[in-house]
Amino acid sequence: MNRCQHVYRESTRPGVRRVGLILGVAVTVMLGAAALASDEAKSKTPVAPAAGNHWSFQPLRPVAALGSEASIDYFVRRKLREAKLAPSREADRATLVRRVAFVLTGLPPTPEEIAAFVADKSSGAYERMVERYLNSPRHGERWGKHWLDAAGYADSNGYFNADTDRPLAYRYRDYVIRSVNRDKPFDQFVREQIAGDELSGWKRGEPATPEIIELLEATHYLRNGQDGSGESDGNPDEVRTDRYYALESAMQIIGSSLLGVTMQCAKCHDHKFEPLTIKDYYALQAVLYPAFNIDKWVKPNDRVVHANLPGELETWQAAEKKLDAELAELKSQFKTWQATNQPGGWRLFSDGFNDGEPLTKRWSNTAPTDDAPAGSPAVTLDSDKAPAARVKDGALEIIEGGGSGDRWLSTKDAFEWRPGAVGQWIQVTFDLVATKIDGKGGSAERIGYVIAARDFNDNGDTDRGNILIDGNPGGATSVHVDYPGADSKSRGSIGETGYKSGHNYGVRITRTATNEFTLEHLVDGAVDGASLKLKERDLPEGGFAFEYCCGRSFVVDNVIIEGSNDSEPGWVAKNERFQKELAERKKAFDKATKAVAAKRSPKPGRIAWVSDGSAEAPEVRLLKRGNHKTPGDVVTPSFPAFLKTRDGRVANFQPAKTTATTGRRLAWANWLTEANSPQASLLARVTVNRVWQHYFGVGIVATPDNLGLSGAKPSHPELLDWLASKFIESGWSMKALHRLILESATFRQTSAPRSRAVERDPDNHLLWRYPVRRLDAEAIRDAMLAVSGRLSSKTNGPYVPTPRNGIGEVLVDEAKPDAFARSIFVQHRRTQVPTFLGTFDAPSVVFNCTRRAETTMPLQSLSLLNSEFSVKRGEDLAQRLARDCGTDEVAKIRRGFLLTTGREPDSAERKMATRFLAEQRRVYADRKDADARAWADFCQSLFGLNSFLYLE
Amino acid sequence: MNRAFDSISRRAFLGRSAGGLGALALAQLLGPQLAFASNPPKPGHHRPRAKAIISLFQHGGPSQMDLFDCKPALNKWSGKPYPGGELEVHFDKQAGNVLGAPYAFHPRGQCGMELSELLPHTGSIADEITLVRSMTTGSVDHESALRIIHTGRFLAGLPTLGSWVLYGLGSENENLPAYVVLGDPGGLPVDGERNWSSGFLPAIYQGTPFRSGDSPVFNLQTPAHIPPQARANQLGLLKALNQRHAARFPENTELTARIANFETAARMQTAVPEALDLSGESEATKKLYGLDKPETEEYGRRCLLARRLVERGVRYVQLFLSGQPWDTHDKNAERLKGLCAKTDQPSAALVRDLKARGLLDSTIVLWTGEFGRLPISQGKDGRDHNRHAFSLWAAGGGFKKGYVHGATDEFGYKSVQDVVSVHDFHATLLHTMGVDHRALHFPHEGRDASLTDSEVTGANIVPALLA
Repeated sequence: MNRCQHVYRESTRPGVRRVGLILGVAVTVMLGAAALASDEAKSKTPVAPAAGNHWSFQPLRPVAALGSEASIDYFVRRKLREAKLAPSREADRATLVRRVAFVLTGLPPTPEEIAAFVADKSSGAYERMVERYLNSPRHGERWGKHWLDAAGYADSNGYFNADTDRPLAYRYRDYVIRSVNRDKPFDQFVREQIAGDELSGWKRGEPATPEIIELLEATHYLRNGQDGSGESDGNPDEVRTDRYYALESAMQIIGSSLLGVTMQCAKCHDHKFEPLTIKDYYALQAVLYPAFNIDKWVKPNDRVVHANLPGELETWQAAEKKLDAELAELKSQFKTWQATNQPGGWRLFSDGFNDGEPLTKRWSNTAPTDDAPAGSPAVTLDSDKAPAARVKDGALEIIEGGGSGDRWLSTKDAFEWRPGAVGQWIQVTFDLVATKIDGKGGSAERIGYVIAARDFNDNGDTDRGNILIDGNPGGATSVHVDYPGADSKSRGSIGETGYKSGHNYGVRITRTATNEFTLEHLVDGAVDGASLKLKERDLPEGGFAFEYCCGRSFVVDNVIIEGSNDSEPGWVAKNERFQKELAERKKAFDKATKAVAAKRSPKPGRIAWVSDGSAEAPEVRLLKRGNHKTPGDVVTPSFPAFLKTRDGRVANFQPAKTTATTGRRLAWANWLTEANSPQASLLARVTVNRVWQHYFGVGIVATPDNLGLSGAKPSHPELLDWLASKFIESGWSMKALHRLILESATFRQTSAPRSRAVERDPDNHLLWRYPVRRLDAEAIRDAMLAVSGRLSSKTNGPYVPTPRNGIGEVLVDEAKPDAFARSIFVQHRRTQVPTFLGTFDAPSVVFNCTRRAETTMPLQSLSLLNSEFSVKRGEDLAQRLARDCGTDEVAKIRRGFLLTTGREPDSAERKMATRFLAEQRRVYADRKDADARAWADFCQSLFGLNSFLYLE
Repeated sequence: MNRAFDSISRRAFLGRSAGGLGALALAQLLGPQLAFASNPPKPGHHRPRAKAIISLFQHGGPSQMDLFDCKPALNKWSGKPYPGGELEVHFDKQAGNVLGAPYAFHPRGQCGMELSELLPHTGSIADEITLVRSMTTGSVDHESALRIIHTGRFLAGLPTLGSWVLYGLGSENENLPAYVVLGDPGGLPVDGERNWSSGFLPAIYQGTPFRSGDSPVFNLQTPAHIPPQARANQLGLLKALNQRHAARFPENTELTARIANFETAARMQTAVPEALDLSGESEATKKLYGLDKPETEEYGRRCLLARRLVERGVRYVQLFLSGQPWDTHDKNAERLKGLCAKTDQPSAALVRDLKARGLLDSTIVLWTGEFGRLPISQGKDGRDHNRHAFSLWAAGGGFKKGYVHGATDEFGYKSVQDVVSVHDFHATLLHTMGVDHRALHFPHEGRDASLTDSEVTGANIVPALLA
């Protein structure tokens, strides 16, 4: 669901010709692999002669040269005059304050802010209001998000299905927010992101300062792209392709977020539309290559550096130690109580793996009622050659190395899994010590075990048993009967708690009727979540086994099989009392351990950064047709020839003087931001254009990632150049640029239509009014949180997780701390966009997103009407109104409108609201909370108003 | 006119077409918003043969030489080293000797198409289908190959075939999602939601998974605590207030579309459960799909639902299996037997039922996986991945009846005659739907992106597949 829009100006459709099938994974990546390079390029290149003169590649002229009368309004009105159109009058004050608040902070103005601005008739009132929002910390969260979209920020690695976590990416997000709030000069901001490590002069192991840490965090910009190299497991060619992809993604993001050029096409051949050659592409690749050395590759999770402030680590260690002690105490109390009070069951089997006997004494790769080992290859006992099982450090290691196929390690004994009388049970439990062997490899995807293990190879339905309990680290544990083979049947799932090391797991079978048993999930001795029913025939006599499959290795201990011991007088009642108290104590124990866990903070000082592997530059080669299997000439860094100074020169590439790195990135960053250069001019134009787009919905160039020859033509070229020049002359101050736009009459116009203007310029290209714009996904969610009084105060730190629930929805768990944080702090997992945000067009990041799509669809209406998020915010807002206004109905209605739409309702709207509330109270008349329900329905309806969802 | 812009809101087009502006100027005139409001039916580029596609997707790579592509050489060489030269093997350490085909093939139908004994029901519709034995794809990795067969490229995040079809042709019933995914209650397929992502196309074109249970679509049901009258009052209040707001912007069709969408949403609340309700189906129909037998009941139910959805104007329906069951790395023979027992009868029933109702001419039923398997064994009794050859079948919507296309080499390893790439097949599918694959594109990453990307892939329609 990548809802990112890239508008493209021209449709050049060369005739279709067969270029041969290109099947290699690497080669299908980009336009114009193989056969497009030579003859087709000659005949179809539409641009070459004019390329060097293209407007956006020229150095900017100084502001003074653009005329003394120049201003936003001057350029806009000139175009309007040419079209015989007049600008619109200024919008009213309530509209202006809502517009400014949303544009600058992504949040609605409070009723107090609205009232203050509407009442302030003194001169400079508007400017003061603007300053308040510009200086609000919320400003960095809003405009930081705009930059993060352009920079391709995500909290996951993407590329492969696993879409693995980027637990440290948030430090870059926080760096961006801080930089925006401090109005860091944009050229410096860019230099830091490309070469912060080189700028810092810091060396590994040295103590760091906050300034140094910030510079190291900034380099995460270069690793925002998808990177599957941590999970690559194909043949060597595939692995290489995966690595190059991370490097190429970084280049593509640089191209679209900084240069406004579709860089990726030049990977395989000279660009068809832009003056960018394949050599230019690899000359830039040579700048980044030392940090992404394909031959000395560092996987993303290892691309981490430790940089600590003096004393920081020690403080953290002391705090962790205290928490460890608290946790150990809690555990010991719980275990001691359990051990003392648990009525002993009738022990059928027990192995603590401590008696020094070989495994083969009690265990086998063949189930007790089977005639052949389970699986091929079968498990070897007392060995470490996978698939194998052995005892190490007093625990049982399940060592699985195979790609696929099942096998198991079973008890030699068979057990009767059908308790004889109603109410009796049998259970098996074990301690899960670790979910990998010796901390190596990935964690086991599942922790599987089998009860009633018998005939492994049977293909029929008659002989059931073989009940696979497939423990799931993520939650609900699935159950399959008659596993494995074609006759295997899924029976759904039991429990709700995930499998983590350090806990005790298992299942209990209780007879509930003549031919009915329940299968319950046990976690730390207590029943957990849902159970399911089994029949007599599901539970033949058989062994207990651990399931081997697909590289899932783990370590277990204390396997115990026991049955209810109702032969002892009073045992049943005693056990019932114990179970009841255990459940209560378990709840309290879980709560306490969670509270301790919540106090933990990650080890400080870990930064996911980018830096060169060494000061010595590795050899970089051009890749013919973009394919690493066909390397071409050696390339060294150079600057693209189409960015020439006024006197026609192209700068020479000189690495910057650094010690631990090649100095290439710093040299490139310095070049990009060099005063009066064509490249800095291009950077300023691209940046100013994107900012303009966030104000007016569309940029002066409608293609924000493409200002090249194939991009759209600027609607107001002189305005764009004037803004870019002003931006640079202000010292690349973003806030100065904001003020320039905010204080223009063009921005302050009303959105009201005028029929003549609508007819002549229906899409408002000439800006005769301020456009009516829908709030984006984050602004809708954040505004709903803000007006309902729920918005949390989180301003930084690790993301708020957004798990996918059992039915596939991606939700923020409202029971978790910071569930009501602004959307920028919510997990940005590529494959897991929160359902509410995705419905309103939040993108899933592929490369980056410089412009969003905007859809209007029934699913959005369903979401506003029926989603739990929407219903709950309605209830929250109703409670807030009651807090703010007591029982004064009219005051509550007025405030409800003011909070959501930024204006008071008129008398007709008030009447509609009053009538609605009366009708709802009638509908709910038989309920005690009729009034509260009526208000909640009213408040939820406010979120469906276009005057809430749209900005004028 | 550039089709890429056809679906942009009417507003962007007001007063334009008369001016004769080309695509070039049009892009610059794109409104301040790239707005996509509702998805009305759109005319294609030419007269369509088919109006809807039902894709019965077979995750994992069904073994073509055991099901569709009879290779006597396999049994002749079984157990001996593969004599056919070099093979591209995914799990190279487990590569074994030639693995014989365990099941017999018989000619079926008037056409005499040879099919495995595991597919008796598919055999009974042999005279309705086109069987392609010469498919190829670009990757032996499941996820990459899935993306290629769904989106044309191996990368994640691109629009699927269903999204492109919707983007090109719109929806015929706005009360139902036009692109419906009927997933396996057992769980998501490998690669999850990406299998029905709209990628960079607007979200309105993404597949909507229908789940089993009370709320088949997210947020479809009104919360239990809001009775119908209370909800009706809410909708009434919203409409009245929003109409007052819209009156200030009479030119803005997006605002009115949003007002209408609240009503569409309310209609969806009844239309979706109605479409999923099988109680009106006859016993004979249920039996045809195997709803009376445990092994076919679940899959048959979804095949029947697919027919009901297409009857109601849904454009693209795709069935998935949980995980990737056709991935027979071991126990190839045994697993195939179980899978065919589950899928053969319902798949064929769908074709028969559509035909009986006069819907087969306008509906394509497609049966395919993401790649094929190797002629040699993996381990003792499995088969490894193969991108050089796989088989698929398609019925209805202009595909030839009782026709076999293309051939593989002696061992079924490589497609050698009338080779069809996934891109060719995509081009052909779009063609039958009335869409020119070279003319359906959308601006992305600074260029016109399309499903087939024919300049790079050389995708061409395969006329031989069509009647």
